[in-house]
Amino acid sequence: MNLTARIISVYAADISGVCSALYEYGGMTVIHDASGCNSTYTTHDEPRWYDTDSMVYISALTENDAVMGNDEKFISDLCDAAGKLRPAFIAVCGSPMPAMTGVDLEAIAFDTGNRTGIPSFAVRTNGMHSYISGAGRAFESIAVMFSEPAKKSDAFSVNILGATPLDLSLNGTLGSIKELLRANGIEVNACLGMGSSLDEVKRLSAAHADLVISSAGKLTAEYLLKEYGIPYVIGIPFGGKFSERLTEALRGSAASGKCTDIFKECRKTGYDIAIVGESILSSSLAAALSLEKDISARVVESIGDSDMSVLLDTDISAEDEDIIEKELERSHTVIADPLFEPICRKPHFIRLPHEAFSGRCFSKEIPNLIGTELDKSIEKVKV
Amino acid sequence: MIKLAVYGKGGIGKSTCTANLSAALALLGKRVIQIGCDPKADSTINLLGGKPVIPVMNYLREHDDEPRSLEEISAVGYGGILCIETGGPTPGLGCAGRGIITTFGLLEELKLFERFKPDAVLYDVLGDVVCGGFAAPIREGYASKILIVTSGEKMALYAANNINSAVNNFRDRSYAKVRGIIMNRRNVDGEEEKVKSFADKNGLEIAADIPRSSDITKYEDMGMTVIEGDSGLEVSKRFISLAQMLIDEDNE
Repeated sequence: MNLTARIISVYAADISGVCSALYEYGGMTVIHDASGCNSTYTTHDEPRWYDTDSMVYISALTENDAVMGNDEKFISDLCDAAGKLRPAFIAVCGSPMPAMTGVDLEAIAFDTGNRTGIPSFAVRTNGMHSYISGAGRAFESIAVMFSEPAKKSDAFSVNILGATPLDLSLNGTLGSIKELLRANGIEVNACLGMGSSLDEVKRLSAAHADLVISSAGKLTAEYLLKEYGIPYVIGIPFGGKFSERLTEALRGSAASGKCTDIFKECRKTGYDIAIVGESILSSSLAAALSLEKDISARVVESIGDSDMSVLLDTDISAEDEDIIEKELERSHTVIADPLFEPICRKPHFIRLPHEAFSGRCFSKEIPNLIGTELDKSIEKVKV
Repeated sequence: MIKLAVYGKGGIGKSTCTANLSAALALLGKRVIQIGCDPKADSTINLLGGKPVIPVMNYLREHDDEPRSLEEISAVGYGGILCIETGGPTPGLGCAGRGIITTFGLLEELKLFERFKPDAVLYDVLGDVVCGGFAAPIREGYASKILIVTSGEKMALYAANNINSAVNNFRDRSYAKVRGIIMNRRNVDGEEEKVKSFADKNGLEIAADIPRSSDITKYEDMGMTVIEGDSGLEVSKRFISLAQMLIDEDNE
């Protein structure tokens, strides 16, 4: 059956991605949806909800509003709330209901921006795509709206693009990436997503290169390449050797002005191990395993929205549970979120929880694999 | 780029006017796309020699899947005009307005404008702005100008007034603006005065005056526009003049 999940979970949706991407920027994110749905997008999918305030709201759309096209009520509520809260920006996004009735969220944001004088934009969501699509578009929107031409930093610096807890969790991974870069003489000019601010977004153009650590950062990377000529390199620095290649590639790209694809040269493709999940995280892990242990690994991209440009010949993108189940039989060992285990018949299953798939169920188990941290976990990997 | 939406009462001649305007633009050397936004899916038939293109909604219904290429849901007609029809859901079921939005989303995914690189895009829209879907062609990024087709008949002017009011309701939204009226004559008593009175009252211009002509019917019976049939006819010259005016405005 197509696009069916009988046993496994589903990934967080595009709306959750928007909320996660914009969480820390002081803007007001409003989802045009029925009252009560905020719990799905934030309390379930956003681990920062419990210790960090953010202005994420629901419009409390009713059946009558949807049928009658009461856009004015929504706009008035937006203006009223913005008048009281004075957010840095207003982002509106849609759920399945306004998507079906064809609400023009771009026009609502345009009108709201004109009335309030606050930068406003719509992020196209309908609840039917993955968090990658929503987060990617949200990141791109703030980059387009707030980035400014800036002088390149004196020291060699990069932007980290695509950092949300949905992919990275809150286990210190992002801090380790920054530390690793700095230890290699690379300053972090800006980080899009976590531990960030609008000031960082404004100075995005000052970086010499971009490091795209998740698929959610790819659209922004393309925008920064087109608008400011900043080249990008894709990958998360897992393991000592892959991290070294990644930092070398960043320097190379900055010098040449061209993007560098390092997966082809770093990965040994094959079927020993299947790594299931988001394409960039999985490919980076596959590269690290190839370089550290000479293991061949394939990526089973299981979201459908990930960056497909990083996939190599033995990799596959499959959203259907039936197909994933069959594909996993081709490898001796499977690395995946624990919620994939029931459809995996192989004895070697290595649990690698992914917050966008299993939420907080196993978040305490999510390892920090940056740099040589990977070595502590790698002994578990047997083929 | 000329980005035009044509609205008007059902049966008033929107598709005839739109197809002839597309044909006139093509005759003047422009690369044109015409998108019929009506479940009837007959907007472009006279640009295609009477052989209809498969409407997008029909494709979705028959294949239960989205098309992978523009070629599957478009056909090239007179003067190289790329013809597309949204079509509609199974009659009596589904949501036609939503169908238009779905089609537009699909055309965007298939990179219609990037690939075809048109000089002009014409949207031929069902009679009235009855819901969000039928306003989609005048949203930001689609049409920038609207032509309302009307005759001097009471119900045609009533519909024209509704359309103009609906567009005025969107004035804060950066939507398309009404460029003017196409007076498609039905030869009713005092027709010109009635249409002029409506236009003046609403601050609109009569952009074109199309005479009632049996030649239009004659050539439509042959599966073509009057422009294709005989571009030297008076009625053809009126469409060509309108096309030239739109080209000149676009060049300004």
